[in-house]
Amino acid sequence: MSSPIIEVSELVKKYGDRLAVNGVSFQVQEGEIFGLLGPNGAGKTTTLSILSTLLQPDAGKVQINGYDLAQDAERIKPLIGLVPQELALYPTLSAWDNLAFFGRIYGLRGRRLREQIDFVLELVGLRDRAGDAVETFSGGMKRRLNLAAGLIHQPRLLFLDEPTVGVDPQSRNFIFEHIERLKAAGMTILYTTHYMEEAERLCDRVAIMDEGRILALDTPQKLIGLLGGGVIHLAIPSDFISMLLPAIRALPHVQAVSPLDGRIKIETTEARSALLELIQLCHTRDVPILSLEILEPSLESVFLHLTGKHLRD
Amino acid sequence: MLQQILALTWKDLKIFFKDPGAVVLIFLQPFMFIVVMSYALGGLFEPEKGAIHILAVNQDRGSQAAAILQQLDALDAFVVETRWEGQPLTREMAERLIVEGKRNLALIFPPDFSEVLGQIAERHSTRIVFLADPTASAQVVEPIQGTLQGLIERRVFIARMPKGIDFLLDTLAPQMSREQREAFKAQAEQASSGGLVGGDSPVVIVEREAPTGMRVEKYPNTFQQNVPGYTIYGLFWIVSLLTSSVLRERREGTFRRLLAAPMRRATILAGKFLPYYLINLVQLLIMLGASSLLFKMSLGYSPLGLVVVSLAAAAASTGLGVLIAGLARTDSQVGGLTVLLLLTMSALGGCFVPRFIMPDWLKTLGLITPHAWALDAYQDLLVRGYGLREVLPKAGALLIFAAAFFGIGISRFRFD
Repeated sequence: MSSPIIEVSELVKKYGDRLAVNGVSFQVQEGEIFGLLGPNGAGKTTTLSILSTLLQPDAGKVQINGYDLAQDAERIKPLIGLVPQELALYPTLSAWDNLAFFGRIYGLRGRRLREQIDFVLELVGLRDRAGDAVETFSGGMKRRLNLAAGLIHQPRLLFLDEPTVGVDPQSRNFIFEHIERLKAAGMTILYTTHYMEEAERLCDRVAIMDEGRILALDTPQKLIGLLGGGVIHLAIPSDFISMLLPAIRALPHVQAVSPLDGRIKIETTEARSALLELIQLCHTRDVPILSLEILEPSLESVFLHLTGKHLRD
Repeated sequence: MLQQILALTWKDLKIFFKDPGAVVLIFLQPFMFIVVMSYALGGLFEPEKGAIHILAVNQDRGSQAAAILQQLDALDAFVVETRWEGQPLTREMAERLIVEGKRNLALIFPPDFSEVLGQIAERHSTRIVFLADPTASAQVVEPIQGTLQGLIERRVFIARMPKGIDFLLDTLAPQMSREQREAFKAQAEQASSGGLVGGDSPVVIVEREAPTGMRVEKYPNTFQQNVPGYTIYGLFWIVSLLTSSVLRERREGTFRRLLAAPMRRATILAGKFLPYYLINLVQLLIMLGASSLLFKMSLGYSPLGLVVVSLAAAAASTGLGVLIAGLARTDSQVGGLTVLLLLTMSALGGCFVPRFIMPDWLKTLGLITPHAWALDAYQDLLVRGYGLREVLPKAGALLIFAAAFFGIGISRFRFD
């Protein structure tokens, strides 16, 4: 793997007494798609804002392409294309005018500017709507133009902050295809999302964040592997829990067992087989089952496994 | 950096001209004010354009009433109408026209008017009826009544003088021969009508003059009186556009995108505010240019003075926008604050009502607004005929306002 283009170490950002980012460290390799996955308020956007030079960190160090963010922000800025979560466009101007404006801000002009506008409009499939006011676009088209505006100056790094929020499935797929094309062209992408399926589909590596911290960082496959064959949450009357725990541990497809908020959390080697064994056990011991929940292996269940919360909480 | 400022400026100008409401607010609204208010108040400043119509019913068997009406009609402020639709006016017709709201005022001279004026020994009197619509304001009716009274008294004097002289000579010099008496009367009449009293011309001529130092060749028309006030009023509405635009950039996240681009915050601010300054200058150019071309309004004698005052006034106006954009955080704050501030400042600054008719304390209070300084500077140039030197202190005051507004506004400015 190539050398890291982004190196973040012990990053801290406070808003008043609240720690929005609490000692975050990670590296992003050139050409990879790196995901920050977590619920709203996890610290993803704050981290991205610091890396985009929009916010000053309270502690920690960031290096991008070898430049220190604290000292060389003006050298870092041209390398980055930011696609903010908001539709950061001028609705009364046409798509072409919007792109021309952002292009000029990055120093493009003349023929090069026109070529670049045509290129990104083609890339996001909006060339035939170039002259139309953005306010006449659908939500998905606006999202695509938002992406195009971040690409207008051909950045080496693309920061995408929740780029599919409020987008219909068709446009979402369209955006995924663009991102995959950009990755194939060698662009490095930092991607924040709270949709696990996006992180699983797009990202080479994912950092799972919650309450300002990175809880786990690896490829999606390895993170999912943390759950083994899946997890079962079993709820039975509390009088039976201590009695039943040793028997559950002894089941063939069970890896580990622990109490969790009045329920029993059971990590398995294969969830469906373990489920049958559990039902059989409860029936034999005459223990009533109050509820059963199977967490198939996914980043969502990994997050639940790590935090006890759902991603969309 | 310059290219970025120009890109930002061009972008905001494009957005501005794509918003018809904003264009109407900035260009058409003050212009409509100028046209409507100038015509509405035209009579106050240009009597010949807004002359008061008076119906006259002349029943006088002699010539004295006709002479008075002729004198009254000769004044610019009045138009005397003795006929209506080709018919000589009667009292009934005059009353009907007033009731129908077609006219407000009428004079009715009695049949014995000349006779009574000619009597000197007898103590007869006569009465002119002055019909006035009760809704006509006292400010209009009373000066007319006073003018009429003056004309009548003068006419009485002229009519009675020959008989008065006869009466005096009969009493004091009854021995004087008829020839001597006629020669004396002729001399006295000549003195009173031609020289001493001035005949039909008043002895005391009231002639309007401007104070020393002002170059006023003719008195300002209604547009010269109204254009500066409503132009200044309209100029400051740029505050509303500028602050709304800043809030929109904050809300829609475009400021975040700009902050991530390789340019300084000062460049973003310069590019953000420059277009509104330019719009202000275009606004002034249109207001003054259109008033000059369409309404023949004089632009005074100092083009350079106009340029300097316009640059300073636009700076103060844009600066006020920056101040509000720096202080306000929400759309509702901007909406409420802008309307309240602009209307109050415009009123205090004399845009709606001339400051000279305000009480002293209000006049002094008005000086805390840039409107008052800008208005005074434009009136110096357009109405009083002053030049650059005289308006420089006022332009300086406007620049101080601008510096203070920009300083506070930028120090409080937030991009998110």
